[in-house]
Amino acid sequence: MSLPSQQTNTRQQWDIFCVVVDNYGDIGVTWRLAKQLAAEYSIEVNLWIDDLNSFSHILARLNPELARQQFDGVNIFHWKAENLTHFSIGNVLIEAFACEIPSQIIESIVKLKQLTPSKVPIWLNLEYLSAEDWVEGCHGLPSFQACGLQKFFYLPGFTSKTGGLICEKNLFVERDAWQADHTNKMRLFQQLGLTGIKPEHQVISVFSYETPALLSLITYWQTCKSNIHVLIPKGKSLNSITSLLPCEIADLIVGQQISLGNVTLHVLPMTDQQGYDRLLWSCDFNIVRGEDSFLRAQWAAKPFIWHIYPQEDDYHLIKLQAFMQIYCDNLAPDLAKNWCELNLAFNQGNQITVANHWQRLDFTNLSFAQHVKKWPITAINDADLASRLVQFVKNS
Amino acid sequence: MKTAHEIRPGNVIMLDGSPWVVQKTETTRSGRNAAIVKLKLKNLLLDSGTEQTFKGEDKLEDIILERLDCTYSYFADPMYVFMDEEYNQYDVEADNLGDAAAYIVDGMEDQCQVTFYNGKAISVELPVHIVREVIYTEPSARGDTSGKVMKPATITGGGTVTVADFVKVGDKIEIDTRTGEFKKRV
Repeated sequence: MSLPSQQTNTRQQWDIFCVVVDNYGDIGVTWRLAKQLAAEYSIEVNLWIDDLNSFSHILARLNPELARQQFDGVNIFHWKAENLTHFSIGNVLIEAFACEIPSQIIESIVKLKQLTPSKVPIWLNLEYLSAEDWVEGCHGLPSFQACGLQKFFYLPGFTSKTGGLICEKNLFVERDAWQADHTNKMRLFQQLGLTGIKPEHQVISVFSYETPALLSLITYWQTCKSNIHVLIPKGKSLNSITSLLPCEIADLIVGQQISLGNVTLHVLPMTDQQGYDRLLWSCDFNIVRGEDSFLRAQWAAKPFIWHIYPQEDDYHLIKLQAFMQIYCDNLAPDLAKNWCELNLAFNQGNQITVANHWQRLDFTNLSFAQHVKKWPITAINDADLASRLVQFVKNS
Repeated sequence: MKTAHEIRPGNVIMLDGSPWVVQKTETTRSGRNAAIVKLKLKNLLLDSGTEQTFKGEDKLEDIILERLDCTYSYFADPMYVFMDEEYNQYDVEADNLGDAAAYIVDGMEDQCQVTFYNGKAISVELPVHIVREVIYTEPSARGDTSGKVMKPATITGGGTVTVADFVKVGDKIEIDTRTGEFKKRV
């Protein structure tokens, strides 16, 4: 590890540390943020990840065996103690989702503070996204650490008093262009090896945790008259519907189709983040989980169910309610009620009511369709997370 | 050292070389059950205030200052007056009680701890669990007995606590003064 060099280069260096806990959520958010900071703000971003294997599922070009590599202008480091010798103190240090920055780094910054206080980097704890009220009161607050350094809590959120939401500058323009031409989605389905889908068919993507509600929904869809295609990657969702599968999950192959009357299940190949965005833009309805895909479903301007990460004492339902309240703020009461009940039933794994709520919610309703399109603009609130973060650092 | 999660109003902690009395704590849950603790603090040397946020497991240096067991005596705006067993009286600024002020009621017998800094009473810690009577709450709407459906209730002294739906006016309830959470009906 080294202290900052004396060169007069004005390009900022930010280091983002991320511990992979649940495969794609934490890494998904930090990778998107790192790419955006590099691309839109010309910041030299070092992304330190402790699990490159999981990362390689959403970045296929990544070699999990390499300790250091670069993609999309971002330096990616395998975060292991021995690799910290590559670390040099930059301008900003971000611990994503409350992970612990290595003590060696903290010690070197404490030493730097004694020698050159003006060179001490801004230290941020980038927290999880929540729509709860308390976020406004905690966002940006200092946190004086026992080591003598100051850290700041940076909390993403949906209001102007929070840290904002990750969204690339041109995302909505690209999405609108994509959705304006229906051949795009058909071409994408073809590229993904999803055959038999016609433009008039209903297509639903599923990326959830395990829940009996999913089995209930698919069983209900089987009774519908229209053709429904359900796109499911290998993973937790499939564990919920083993009774519908013709074989063991391990024996399923990507691209495999399972016909269940008018419902066709497609085993979806893994894709990168851009590919996943396009998939969400192309489906009629999306079931998403966690934080990263939850936001991308909103940006897709399509109706969705959010399967939120389960917490002790059902605390996740409070977070779900907080989001549903602001999401439905400008929605007609009957539509809001049905959409909320559907999301709640899905998250409670309520097999009996989830299908009833699905049946009651008319996704083709014009005001609902308008709402899902308007919502991203409302939610962004004039500034995305990266731009607010850059401003926060500038002001700190 | 205490974790931020263990810090209570009335504690005094050292931050950046200064003693700060904790006036208010607010614990919230982030993702994956991680706690975020927001502290409202008053600098005992400069009389200035700040708000800081910590992870629940962050270690904070709490200072052991002189403390005395006392009981609440009376309120002489803006001071709360406490008395020790030798009938000595100590004035504590209302501001320094923070959220604990909501649990102070005339005639309360709870054993409190008054903390002193340089001979001056600076804060009061209430017992972790106190019992108060519910003086107003809406009737149970759904007959829920699981304790998961919650509603607001006003307690003696005027404070508000979120209680289980089955709690009625006149019930005595146990409250955790660290978090302000309803624990059970007594």
